[in-house]
Amino acid sequence: MIDRSPKTPEALIRVIAQDLRPVKPSPRPLRLALQTAPFALLVSSLVLLAVGIRGDSGILGPLLTWGASAAQFALAIALVWIAAHESTPAGRLPKGTVYAAAVAVMLVVVGITVSTFSISPVGSTLRVAGALRVPPWIMDLACGVGSTIEGGILVLLFSWMFRNSLATRPIVAGALYGAGAGVAVNAGWRIACPFSTLRHTLGAHGTAIVATVLLGALIGRFLRARRFHSADR
Amino acid sequence: MSEGEQLRALMIRYQGGSLEAFQEIYAQLAAAVRRYLSHLAGGSEIADDLLQETFLQMHRSRAAYNPAYAVRPWVFGLARNVFLMNRRAARRWAEVHESREELPEFPVFPEADGLGSRDEIRRGIACLSTDQAEALLLHHEWGFSFDEIAGMLGISAAAARARASRGMADLRAALNSFQRARA
Repeated sequence: MIDRSPKTPEALIRVIAQDLRPVKPSPRPLRLALQTAPFALLVSSLVLLAVGIRGDSGILGPLLTWGASAAQFALAIALVWIAAHESTPAGRLPKGTVYAAAVAVMLVVVGITVSTFSISPVGSTLRVAGALRVPPWIMDLACGVGSTIEGGILVLLFSWMFRNSLATRPIVAGALYGAGAGVAVNAGWRIACPFSTLRHTLGAHGTAIVATVLLGALIGRFLRARRFHSADR
Repeated sequence: MSEGEQLRALMIRYQGGSLEAFQEIYAQLAAAVRRYLSHLAGGSEIADDLLQETFLQMHRSRAAYNPAYAVRPWVFGLARNVFLMNRRAARRWAEVHESREELPEFPVFPEADGLGSRDEIRRGIACLSTDQAEALLLHHEWGFSFDEIAGMLGISAAAARARASRGMADLRAALNSFQRARA
């Protein structure tokens, strides 16, 4: 019997033979997402260690203080899980499910923010040592920049974990990782930040989430370009 | 051992550093992946380049494969990814599907074989929308389940089934119209 199976081209064999070190198979998306959880929890708790818990946590109660943040954190890990699926060539979720989940998570974050404001509408002028007042814009800047930096650290970690992923839409996958990072970090910041006005929470904290989404998308785009340009060489 | 299990075992050996396992995977999948790429790219001239690129990307990201996934849909999904990332191929695809004049090298799957001549079936498939043609061929020509197609295309299994089913209905209608025109 004649063997008609295609032979591997010599050039391809040469490239592959150069690097045949054993590799460890990647875990499934759920396990991968759960592996990111401890580090995400650590990063999102940094602000609590530095600033402490908000003063009105007694008014909000444990459910709206800790429960809402725990739910937000779980949703952030769910976004990472969806992103990990998006990064698997044969394991993608339906596009409608992906977009609906991302929108739903953002609506939950906005809902928690509005609920917090409706129960404890604390304004954003901080009194330091009695008479000294810190203007709202400085608080906006501190929260916006601080949570963007923390979110950026998480996005970089996710990018490293998923650097070999084979996403068909790397920008979408990157944006989902970014959204997961932003929402996880926001879960910690909302317990620490003493201000709940919508201008501050949606403006400063919301901008930080948008920034991590954009950072994730940019990293996804960069990784795609690097993958395919290095293949051209 | 089924073909799927055999490929999975080969992939695990390949991840462990076996060149022979890679060559065996290539021998088992290259022809089908090339036909798929040829369909996507609307011609065979760049299908060979895309095939090489697919296996090169597979090698670079071999750690990203998890043995829980079937190898064939994973590699086909990767091939689709490579095609979409390749601007030259994407341009060519757009041109072919816009003009509908030049018929790409579509495979003729067994279910359609009795419905018309090979040329008519190719012309019929070229008349389908790209989404319908892809789902139809992935199911009927390459034998993927609708769940596997859903995972590759990022759609639901029901949508994959609907696309293939509508594609088959439109193909039959196109073949009937060719036959009426001939008569």
